[in-house]
Amino acid sequence: MVDFDWILRGSCYLLGDDIPHADGVIPQRFIIDRETDPDVLKHHLFELTDPGFVSRCKPGDIIVAGRNFGVGQKSTGYIAMKALGLGVICESIPTQGYRGAIYAGLRVLAHCNGVTSMCANGDDIEVDFSSGLFTNHTRGLKKTWRPMPQSLQDLISKGGAEAWLSTWWARVAQAEKTDPAASQSPL
Amino acid sequence: MGYTAIEKVLSRAASKPGARAGEVVHPIPDLIMIHDGVVQSSKVMLDKIGINRLSNPEKVMMVSDHDVLYGSAKAAERGSFNRKAARDWKVGHFFDVGEGGHGHIFPMEDGRVLPGMFYFDNDTHATNAGAVGAFGMRLGPEITSVLATGTTWIEIPQTIRIFLRGLLQPGVQARDIGFYLARLIKSRVLQIDLDNRVVEYAGDLEQFGLGERVALCSSPTEMRAAGIFIPPSEKIFAYCNTQAKISFAPVYSDTDAEFESHHEINIANLQPQIALPGGVGNSVDISESVGTRVNHAFIGSCGSGMYEDLLTTASILKGRRVAAEVRLFIVPGSQRSMRKLVEDGLMQIFIDAGAMVLPPGCGPCNDAVVGPLASGESSISTATNSNTGRFGPRDAKLFLGSPLTVAASAVAGHIVDPRSFSADETLSLMKSAAYG
Repeated sequence: MVDFDWILRGSCYLLGDDIPHADGVIPQRFIIDRETDPDVLKHHLFELTDPGFVSRCKPGDIIVAGRNFGVGQKSTGYIAMKALGLGVICESIPTQGYRGAIYAGLRVLAHCNGVTSMCANGDDIEVDFSSGLFTNHTRGLKKTWRPMPQSLQDLISKGGAEAWLSTWWARVAQAEKTDPAASQSPL
Repeated sequence: MGYTAIEKVLSRAASKPGARAGEVVHPIPDLIMIHDGVVQSSKVMLDKIGINRLSNPEKVMMVSDHDVLYGSAKAAERGSFNRKAARDWKVGHFFDVGEGGHGHIFPMEDGRVLPGMFYFDNDTHATNAGAVGAFGMRLGPEITSVLATGTTWIEIPQTIRIFLRGLLQPGVQARDIGFYLARLIKSRVLQIDLDNRVVEYAGDLEQFGLGERVALCSSPTEMRAAGIFIPPSEKIFAYCNTQAKISFAPVYSDTDAEFESHHEINIANLQPQIALPGGVGNSVDISESVGTRVNHAFIGSCGSGMYEDLLTTASILKGRRVAAEVRLFIVPGSQRSMRKLVEDGLMQIFIDAGAMVLPPGCGPCNDAVVGPLASGESSISTATNSNTGRFGPRDAKLFLGSPLTVAASAVAGHIVDPRSFSADETLSLMKSAAYG
């Protein structure tokens, strides 16, 4: 794995439990329109709950959420978070949302019980997504949770599914060049 | 210790004998399903990378059900894009608008989704496959990876077993069980989290035909279950045998399989349910919401789009008329049902009642691309869910009920207990023969 930053350090953006994906994370209209363009979506993260968030946030900032983050079936907002260089640490996230976030290449630590009680909005915090280490520099707190699964770290470090597929396709094309009989094969 | 049905199906598909819940596997699906709403974003992404062919195009089923009527220029453009994509990708099973119907209904009717099968799907309601004892797994945008590479990762889900005890009373339907179950979960009477779990039904299941089994899949899916499994009865198995396009082998959980938890629900005294606006978990006994005025009614969707549901609707509408200032949309699940409802005289009943029959597909349930509400209106429907804004305006009130309840309420003009309506007996009796 080359030049991939598993550690993010930035400002804490604290959210509670059961934040709905539609309207709570990103306006529902982008979900209905099935918008997937990061350049479009990145302007609208938390638009309805916190207008101006996207102009205040900086790459490296970390969203700290409670249970059931982004509840709903969709994952449109995670594309925007990835595009803005943000990370997520939360107490729980529905599986469908988690898969969507991983697919978008977002750094996410799920199942971090109690994390919302360890920081406040604006704290200087740091998360190592490959080791699971959380540090609150403002309050001098540290805790380690389960890191991102090893089997998904390749996908994340390549930058998400699109980048991962590019690498995969280049490998397939190379294999076919050396052996024209080789067919496109599963992973 | 034995195995659950999902453990057996995924270990077979992943060629990992003995795989258990919790393990991450890369199953090779028997089928790959994608619907008309997401073909474009998948194709644009693969084109951008330069991936110009699919790993197993012969396994891909592309269905056109989310936007069938093209109510906008954008929808027509999308349809045109999808047709070209199907050609470019050499998709093995392309169903254009006017063909097939609803992707979570017609493949089971037509013997394309069969007991013991495993498939990947972009859409949440792939769980309907549980009605015939198969597994469809929702991937959302990840379907793009599967189209390209042939597989993706899955953590084998735990299974929660729910025993249904008793026989439903007349006037109560399988959708009512789902609403009630969702209420028990939401109110924490049943302390279970369905996220990434399979729900396996057990108990008095012989009373349920294919349509009712499909209905049983609906609410747990809305409560985030990754899959539903209903052990196929002899009758279901026999029906699948008559339709099967490919060979198949049913799978059942072992008697000593390890379930995460066991629960029992007594359904013998269940009343018809109404899910109040906001979600299936907000259900109440119908007596609590009788009399609520409705402007809009809809019967169809993944949850209630089977031929039995059309027979149910006709059994109430026969000889009656939809109330003034109420519009009722009926959306058959498949072209097969559309043909049959003409043959059996149901179409005449619907027309005489003043109902509107839309082409097979999702109908209003796909974010109201057809049949939306006006601001402040109320709807009662068999949609899969009633999230705020699903039928358009955010201030519209969306109630959910069984097909019987929705049909009766459309006639009354307000929410009504369907047990106060006589249903046509001949049509009701036809239900048991709807599938085999």
